[in-house]
Amino acid sequence: MSVVFDGSPLKAMQSSHTHTPQTALSTQELSQEIKSFISGVDTVQGRKLSVREHARCAVRLLRSVPACRGAVLEHLRGVYDEHVSAFLHNLETESNASTGVSSNLEDIIQEIHAVLSEFIRLNPRAWAPLVSTWAVDLLGQLSSKHAGRRVAPHSSSLNELLQLWMSCAATRSLMEAYSQCLAAMLAWCPDACVDALLDTSVQHSPHFDWVVAHIGSAFPGTIISRVMACGLKDFCSHGAKDQGLLVMGVDKGSRVPKIGSVVGILGHLAAHHSDSIRKELLRMFQESLNPSSPLSPTSSSTSWESSPQLRRAAVPFLLQLAAMSPNLFGPVSAELVELLRPPVLLQLQAVLQGLPREELDNMLGLVVHLISQSPSGGARVFRFLADTATPASVIISGPTPSPHEGVREGCDRLLQMLLLHLHKLVFNRTDGVEVNPHHSASSQPQRVIPFLEELQSHVGQLCAETLRLERKRHLWLHQLLCLLSVYGGPSTATEALCQLLTQARNPEELALAWQLHTTLSSCMAGLIPAAIARSVAQIHTHTLGPRQLRQLLLNLAAAIQSQDEERRGATGAQSSMVVQVGSAVSGHLHDFCPLLLHGDPAVSHAAVRLLSCSPLPRTCSPAQLLQLSRAAVTHFFLTLRRRGEGGKAGRDGGQAGEAVNCSVLLLSRFAAYSPLTLKSVLQQLVEGALHKGNTDLFGGQIADMSGAPVPSPSVSPDVGASLLDVNCRFGTTVNFSSSVWSVFHAGVIGKGLKARTITQLPDPSLVIQNIQILLAVIVKCCSSSGLNGSRSPSDPDEPPPINAEAAKVVAVTLVENVCPDVANSELSWPPEEHARTTVERDIHIRRCFEAHPVLFPLLQVVAAGRPALCYCSAVLRGLLATLLAHWEASREAASTDSPWHLQASCLLVSCMGEGQILPPVLANVHEAFPHLTPFEVRLLLLAVWEYVRGNGPMPQKFVFSSEKGMFCRDFSRDGDVARYVAPIHSVLHKNIDRLGHLCWRFQL
Amino acid sequence: MGDIRQSLLPRDVLSAAKELLYHLDIYICNLVQSGRQPPQVDSKTLELVEEFILHAPKDRNTPRMSALQELQLLEIMCSCFQEQSRDAVRQLMFAALFNLQGNQADESRMALLGKLVSMAIAVGRVPILECAATWLQRTHRVYCVRLAQVLVDDYCSMVPGSVPTLQNIHSASPRFCCQFITAVTTLYDFTSEELTPPLELLQMIVSWIQDDPHLVLITFLNSPISGSQPITSLDVTPLGGLVRWCIKAPLVYRRDKKQALTNGSSENEPEVGPLFSALHLSVLQVLMLLPNILNEKGLFGRLALLQMESLAALTSDLSRLLDQADKHTHTSSADTLALSQLALDRLAQALQVAMASGALLCSRGNSVEKWCRDLLQLVLSGPVMYYNNIHTSPLAYSPHAAHSPIAPHPTLPALPTHPQPFMTGMPFPFRPSH
Repeated sequence: MSVVFDGSPLKAMQSSHTHTPQTALSTQELSQEIKSFISGVDTVQGRKLSVREHARCAVRLLRSVPACRGAVLEHLRGVYDEHVSAFLHNLETESNASTGVSSNLEDIIQEIHAVLSEFIRLNPRAWAPLVSTWAVDLLGQLSSKHAGRRVAPHSSSLNELLQLWMSCAATRSLMEAYSQCLAAMLAWCPDACVDALLDTSVQHSPHFDWVVAHIGSAFPGTIISRVMACGLKDFCSHGAKDQGLLVMGVDKGSRVPKIGSVVGILGHLAAHHSDSIRKELLRMFQESLNPSSPLSPTSSSTSWESSPQLRRAAVPFLLQLAAMSPNLFGPVSAELVELLRPPVLLQLQAVLQGLPREELDNMLGLVVHLISQSPSGGARVFRFLADTATPASVIISGPTPSPHEGVREGCDRLLQMLLLHLHKLVFNRTDGVEVNPHHSASSQPQRVIPFLEELQSHVGQLCAETLRLERKRHLWLHQLLCLLSVYGGPSTATEALCQLLTQARNPEELALAWQLHTTLSSCMAGLIPAAIARSVAQIHTHTLGPRQLRQLLLNLAAAIQSQDEERRGATGAQSSMVVQVGSAVSGHLHDFCPLLLHGDPAVSHAAVRLLSCSPLPRTCSPAQLLQLSRAAVTHFFLTLRRRGEGGKAGRDGGQAGEAVNCSVLLLSRFAAYSPLTLKSVLQQLVEGALHKGNTDLFGGQIADMSGAPVPSPSVSPDVGASLLDVNCRFGTTVNFSSSVWSVFHAGVIGKGLKARTITQLPDPSLVIQNIQILLAVIVKCCSSSGLNGSRSPSDPDEPPPINAEAAKVVAVTLVENVCPDVANSELSWPPEEHARTTVERDIHIRRCFEAHPVLFPLLQVVAAGRPALCYCSAVLRGLLATLLAHWEASREAASTDSPWHLQASCLLVSCMGEGQILPPVLANVHEAFPHLTPFEVRLLLLAVWEYVRGNGPMPQKFVFSSEKGMFCRDFSRDGDVARYVAPIHSVLHKNIDRLGHLCWRFQL
Repeated sequence: MGDIRQSLLPRDVLSAAKELLYHLDIYICNLVQSGRQPPQVDSKTLELVEEFILHAPKDRNTPRMSALQELQLLEIMCSCFQEQSRDAVRQLMFAALFNLQGNQADESRMALLGKLVSMAIAVGRVPILECAATWLQRTHRVYCVRLAQVLVDDYCSMVPGSVPTLQNIHSASPRFCCQFITAVTTLYDFTSEELTPPLELLQMIVSWIQDDPHLVLITFLNSPISGSQPITSLDVTPLGGLVRWCIKAPLVYRRDKKQALTNGSSENEPEVGPLFSALHLSVLQVLMLLPNILNEKGLFGRLALLQMESLAALTSDLSRLLDQADKHTHTSSADTLALSQLALDRLAQALQVAMASGALLCSRGNSVEKWCRDLLQLVLSGPVMYYNNIHTSPLAYSPHAAHSPIAPHPTLPALPTHPQPFMTGMPFPFRPSH
């Protein structure tokens, strides 16, 4: 189409011929001339006329005898044809020898052209219709006749074709003549002209396209609107007869010949003038709706706007057009939707009301078909439909004011038909059976449904809209989602489900997700696992924001929790689905566990809720388990801290409390899962409780590994002492026991005691609470029947006994943390004097206990799991040793004067009693401690020591008693207790005035 | 001659037509020689003509002739008529070919006739033109007008520079020329732009009549006055049409000119005013010739060459035009007044001369009276009072006017029934409705 016609030679000819003096021929001459023309023989000289002379004769007749017009034009067809043949032959042989012939004809063609163009110029009204029809017809004939020639390019290569024909003088001349006619006729009757073009285009369809393309690009505006007007008229006259066949007729271009070529022509022009085509289509639509549009001065009396019948046919026509050419329809649909504001809708309704019902039904079908086939803008269209069809409501005020009721009903109906249609398409798609034959043409190859294809990228939006739960609307949307999911296959279904799971904010909304799943589950397996997997993938890629993440986790948790409820009143389908959710989540537990430590408390809270209620997987790799347990424990401490902070701030208290509960639940369930997890959880709980980051939660002070609280660097003055210096000075051989080595712990000799940092202790009640929670967790973990499978006693009131193995884990961990350098083996106690050799370690242990008040409760827990306390023997010994040293050195009047030591002594002894390291008689001595002097306390503690030294705390000494469900020690098998009781009795005697009430406690 | 059909069937279109023409010629010669009265071509033959020459759509799907073949046929027809020496045979043959039968072949008949006559004009075939003149006399005026239209289109608009050819028909066949003028004046009645005669045509007609005023009366003079003339055919003379042209022209061309001015296109064409003046003069001269002719024929006072009905229609048209002119009077009132006056002057002159020369018969008092009253109202409702220009005093009819059932002009309900006051010069509201 880039060929620009250069008509200068022709024009020159034309102007030169315009003023040639007309030699008027006499009637006889004219008669001769006619005879010559008819016979092709020069009547005067009796010889045959050459083509050229014959043509000249024809031109003369054209100029002088009006009645010969038709015959002359007919004859000239032959001349043009001859020239084209010669031209093509020339091209084929590529020889310059025969150029003479073609050039001869070329000049006669120029003469003819000059005459015709002069006539058209002088009297366009008379000549333009005639010549235009002739030229177009001849062009069509020529181009299809010579289409098969070797040099003629294939009809699909429009540009080459255009180039070829425009280089041929004959066709170029015809084209120019036609353009001239068209330009002249546009003013008064463009329809006739375009009609001829259309007819010819139909007749010589592919070969004639270059003409239409050329003309169309020369007169884009008029051709487009005229072509459409012609098509509309034709449609109107044909459509009345066989509307029924037409309307759904996507495959019936032949039924209405003109609409087919209208589509073809517009399709050609669409390449360069798509914008004006779009405008024209929209204009036609708008014009057809304006009932009272006055005849504009520009519109001629033949324009379609003036006829009500044509106006009514415009909308069906446009629909038909759109159905036949997706190219045309695509860009228009978007703007069309924009146009359909309420007033326009009312007008549309008014126009359409006049149509018979059957026709309306057909149109509806066509619209549905169009929507389902439109490759873009589908989301917008659907939203528009839903907006319009949504009943007006007081509660929900949409973006658009509520339309007229009739319009609303129409849209409602349209929407339902659309959904039905899509339903058919979608479900027919998967099996091979075609129910609806006339969709076969469009949907056969891949059965692509463009509408759904496009909407696949809007799943998220659709889900969001569905979740708004607006009246009918969400039902439609939900239905659409279902169809979309079925159409898109598992990936789309998964996405939809994921979106719903992520976006739902309450049980009602969440129910939509389950509804979707219920619908889809019949045709799709493994949807939920896929959805969960997808969510997990999103988590990994951090595509979800904290809020969404939280919502997703909460929704999943809610789903799983509903399972527990379902279990009580189980219903089939949903519970199975819930089970699926549960198993899917459990399969991805390790993926969720990092979320426990998510920076956003809400997320981690949601995560803990999910994890605490989700079932645990059947099998799991140790690494994952460890990871999970670590995360869970860390989260536990985090929640404790948050709870503390939250309590202070006075907000989120409830949530923090709930988080703690969930965390406790999670830990206990997890601990019960396997021995490995139990061990790991307990270990980490204990370690965590003693970790310096968490000590303050439990009233402890931050201590370094030596057990001493670490002074903050800014506070501690530089005392100028360096262990390195000391070492250098004394060398390595020096025995460091009880030397300066130990003095560094308390300070440098000569410099006074090391300054103790004063750490701010948290709220004591909070500390107590925290300790309680911690203990509760540990007890829960320990008492769960994970380790050896022993069942708790049937009595529900009695708490289940502490599991011995679990307690051992706690014990071992405790020892490792408090005193890392103690070997596990040295359970038996040395004589009391030997404690001097381990004073260093003992001090460390004592400091640990000082720094971590939580240690005593932990010890108590260990003691309760009976043989386990034996494994703490080193710690007990160290602590006892330092206590002995303290009481020996104490110069106070009463033991109550050193409260910590008193308390520690009491707790220690009671623990040992509980752990059955001491027999009851000895274990009871702590009851007397508060009433005694330090020395007496020492005496009693010494007795304890002696006993333990004599009867080592060996786990072997414990026997499992099945009736109690726990291990017990039979002290009768040990040596006589009486000799250890003597000091007790002495002390009792000494203080009988105060201790009388305790005497019975020490009876053997 | 119905038996030749079988021999014609296998022929190609052109030779079949040729052969049929040949047989037709012989057949009609025989018919004329047999002396049967009146000579009548039978329907079988007419059917053959329709089938093989006009190619009327029949059950046999006859291939239509190409334009070239048609031209050959026309050429053959021309020479056929030319070579036939006997006028009666020619007339019969022409009638057999082209007399309308009221069937679906009429369309192709008209088309072929148009081409034949057009060609005959071009190549100067007088016999055909003579036959066509007769045809124009006998055929319904609608078809006559169509033929005239074809000729005007061919010679005045389609082929530039071919007007002289058409001009020649005056010398070639005055009868045809006269009928042509009648048809053309019937066709172009100034009701719309399309129905305004082309300038070339106007010039041609004016020159014809100026050269030979008798031309207008040729048909009248040559044809026997009998009741045989069908009532739907064209008028005997173009006088009525010409009078209408002359009277309407000033108002119509004023309108056209104004439109041209608003369209901004300056027209280089010569003014039509003088042409119509000349035409008017010629018409009046022709009317002046009439008394002698009518007396010779003994028809004076018995034959109305101008029909009262057509004049009445003209008057009402004129009043409408004047009304329109009045509505647009604010633009160029002086011009309008002059042109309106010109139109009315011409009307009055034509009427007077026509009545005097016996072309218009006013014997029946009632009709004349009514018509004069219409005229009076026309004058009264015009922008200026013209009553003193009208020679016929309205006073003479006043007693009857009082009994007029309906006042024809609604805007003047009472006024025309009492002409007395304004005749005596009493003041009365001029155009009271305005």
